[in-house]
Amino acid sequence: MKDSRNQLPALLPRKAQYLKNDIRLPGQHVQVPVQFPKDFFFVILEKGSLSAMRFLTAVNMKHPEMLEEVPRELWMRVWSWDEDITEPQSILAAAEKVGMSTEQAQGLLEKIVTPKVKNKLKEDTEAAGKYRAFGLPVTVVHLDGQTHMLFGSDQMELLTHLLGEKWMGPVPAAINPKL
Amino acid sequence: MGPVPRTLELFYDVLSPYSWLGFEVLCRYKNIWNINLQLRPSLIAGIMKDSGNQPPALLPRKAQYLRNDIRLLGQHVQVPMQFPKDFFSVILEKGSLSAMRFLTAVNMEHPEMLEKVSRELWMRVWSRDEDITEPQSILAAAEKAGMSTEQAQGLLEKIVTPKVKNKLKENTEAACKYGAFGLPVTVAHLDGQTHMLFGSDRMELLAHLLGEKWMGPVPPAINPKL
Repeated sequence: MKDSRNQLPALLPRKAQYLKNDIRLPGQHVQVPVQFPKDFFFVILEKGSLSAMRFLTAVNMKHPEMLEEVPRELWMRVWSWDEDITEPQSILAAAEKVGMSTEQAQGLLEKIVTPKVKNKLKEDTEAAGKYRAFGLPVTVVHLDGQTHMLFGSDQMELLTHLLGEKWMGPVPAAINPKL
Repeated sequence: MGPVPRTLELFYDVLSPYSWLGFEVLCRYKNIWNINLQLRPSLIAGIMKDSGNQPPALLPRKAQYLRNDIRLLGQHVQVPMQFPKDFFSVILEKGSLSAMRFLTAVNMEHPEMLEKVSRELWMRVWSRDEDITEPQSILAAAEKAGMSTEQAQGLLEKIVTPKVKNKLKENTEAACKYGAFGLPVTVAHLDGQTHMLFGSDRMELLAHLLGEKWMGPVPPAINPKL
């Protein structure tokens, strides 16, 4: 947001209103248990996600095989149960829930203050910026020597068009649709 | 007799390329889904002003994104979109006030022509990079849609009347009351509730809301070429 000089949508009253109502519907459609946090502005604007994202960066560097499950637990905390994700205990709880041992999780937590991890998170953020991101999520497709940047979660059908693949809706039949 | 068709209001402005995409998809589905599509010509400039929002093109990265996004979506939705050469002049300086007043008049006097005339105005500005602000431009679009010169001239004269100006204001305010901060806005009336969806990429979600089947932006039941 800072790099692109964009503004968080929630700062415009009508967009904030829309977001609140809107998130429920895609949550049902995509079968993800999204719930708006009670104090949304506080969560987004004051508490933020710096430690959580540094933690995930460390997970990606040391235990990339766990990188799908840990973010999901962090999302479940902040975007489903309205729980904290900024305190060390909160992050540990999420990591342990998906099967990380306390030692492993503690080890990674200690790493989040190291320059190596801080810089890696910066690098990833700058890479998104180089692809001209003005928000998240951003999906970058590499196809026939070209890159295509798609912004938002509602571009997945367009993505399949690009890839020449079949769109089967947000909950394709091949897997157990319940999270 | 089957179940009562659900009312969908589509608020749109021909200045908005995403409105064109949403419009075409809903026009295709209006004969497939059990819906009553009500087209509501509105003024995007008015919505921006009222909501305090800014046209996305004013943020450099969004402007860049828009260009690509419109091209890709045009292909995917099979609408012959082309970015106008002087995009900023078209959007920020020339605008769409006369065109939208004209469509408002069409909706009041010849609603059965509203879909075709809207489409011809979009073809001018968002496909052939042609003007839509001059009287001759608007007349050309109306005639291309099948209106006689007399009919079109008559409606053109009406665009300066309070009746038409107020009706456009009403539509724009109605969109704002639904919480619009841009266009297109689709409002679905369902079981006594209203659901407002912003953008042209919410149609699969709309299908889910309506309990209808989503068959992509170019459903097979009709000739996919415009």
